[in-house]
Amino acid sequence: MRVMIQMRPEPDMVAAVIDPNVTMTAHDVAGGLRGVEIDPTFVPVAAPRPMPVRAGGDPLSMEQSFTFSRAPEHASVLVRGEIHDYDPASRLSMLALSHPEIVGVSADPVISTTPTCGGDKPVGNWREIEQFFAELGADGLDGTGVALAIVDTGINAQHVNNESGRTITIDAARSWNPPGVVGQPGKFPVDHGSMCAFDAMIAAPKATFLDLPVLQSSHEGATVMDGLLSDAVAGFAHLWGLLETMPQDKRALVVSNSWGSFSPQWDFPPGHPGNYSDNPAHPFNLMVTALESAGADVLFAAGNCGRDCPDGRCQFTDRPIGGANSHPRALSIGGVDTRGDRVGYSSQGPGRLSRSKPDVCSYTHFDGSHAFGADEPDTGTSAACPVAAGVVAAIRSQWPAAKLPPHALRTLLQRTADDRGAAGFDFDYGFGIVNVPVIMDALRRRKKNGFR
Amino acid sequence: MALDGPTALITTRLPPGATLDDAVRHLGLSHDAVDTDYGLIDLHDGSYALMVTEAAAERVRGVPGAKGPFANPRIEPFGPIQPGPDE
Repeated sequence: MRVMIQMRPEPDMVAAVIDPNVTMTAHDVAGGLRGVEIDPTFVPVAAPRPMPVRAGGDPLSMEQSFTFSRAPEHASVLVRGEIHDYDPASRLSMLALSHPEIVGVSADPVISTTPTCGGDKPVGNWREIEQFFAELGADGLDGTGVALAIVDTGINAQHVNNESGRTITIDAARSWNPPGVVGQPGKFPVDHGSMCAFDAMIAAPKATFLDLPVLQSSHEGATVMDGLLSDAVAGFAHLWGLLETMPQDKRALVVSNSWGSFSPQWDFPPGHPGNYSDNPAHPFNLMVTALESAGADVLFAAGNCGRDCPDGRCQFTDRPIGGANSHPRALSIGGVDTRGDRVGYSSQGPGRLSRSKPDVCSYTHFDGSHAFGADEPDTGTSAACPVAAGVVAAIRSQWPAAKLPPHALRTLLQRTADDRGAAGFDFDYGFGIVNVPVIMDALRRRKKNGFR
Repeated sequence: MALDGPTALITTRLPPGATLDDAVRHLGLSHDAVDTDYGLIDLHDGSYALMVTEAAAERVRGVPGAKGPFANPRIEPFGPIQPGPDE
């Protein structure tokens, strides 16, 4: 949380802040405020003291005339900083209590243009993202030999090829349809799943794609694109079986999931033994644990229920990142535009199964697959998730799970992320934006130190 | 097939390598009450998932190792972003 801190240091310090010929830094005024990360770029500002014009006026009333004194013995000094997002109310109270020189703390909200929202035009294009990830390809990390499962509405390979100018490889034999779903891998109508495959190919053009059209479920009451979680349980069981057929030392399976539940009305309430959103013992959450334990990298979109401009379908009143989207063994992916700014619809933490969600952010809302029309961007954390899954698949082409287990890879992405928002982890950006150059530095160091 | 479709997600504990027939026998159900297309899903923690009718889910309460029904929520793609009711 960003804060403005109003301090009353010794008058000579205030005088120095006021003096235009003296350069004072925030650390000169507020160095040593434990628990606060002082912003060194903010030049301290002297705040005059309001004094009632009428002698004997109510010192606490704003409904009167004031004069303002910048005399060093009257004025205070403002500095800017950040405190941790966790339990900010208590932290603010403790901050004021533990530092007698602090006379006030107030929120310093970000003043910015409106974040990118649902109806906005694309921000940048997929070629820019490809450039952000260029070091992967330069080191031969392109997804070769890696299975990348798109659990979604099905892929239309022809559309992906036409839009990308590349050739997607789909492994029909290892793909899977839910019971009752007809259609062949790579030949589904152009829709959300084609966008996901296109976006995963940005970083991993040579990956072998597995098509799992779980959101094509034919259950009663289904809309054009939805499914039931039980279909995903079966789909993950299929993937677990595939992993078991891969040699232990070459296991490389990345699972991209750009879906979730928008409404608690389909779930049992938290605390009920059959609940999904908050219950690690739900069959699907157990399946995620099993798949990750067997060596798969599981990624879930964080969701599109961000407070600034949520998707119209969102019905959660709080903590919208739930179920497997908040699973401790999955990477929960938030969304930023190509400028690195969080998109306003990207769901914010804390998560329900694991509080520290989202884990990291990746790119969305760019001109990409045109799966929804020529002028329509690839949107949602739906796009951010496969973009990140492509990065993971690219890494896996030389770093199978035996050499870099899924938990270590998650840590790598978190530790190397480009920190945004509040310092360190925060509930908007997680640990920050997936940062390929720093990932590559870390992998090269690891290689040099003999860890492969 | 029973009148109510097999829409309830339940789990039961079974030995490794169990089949749908094993599950049906263990739970004391008829095949009509089970989604045989869905089959038996190994959750790799000693338990297995299957889809049964609501009535069957009610009947297996109390069978040792049986749990559920579990939520089987509708899942949807996280995109494209859809406008809210007042937009």
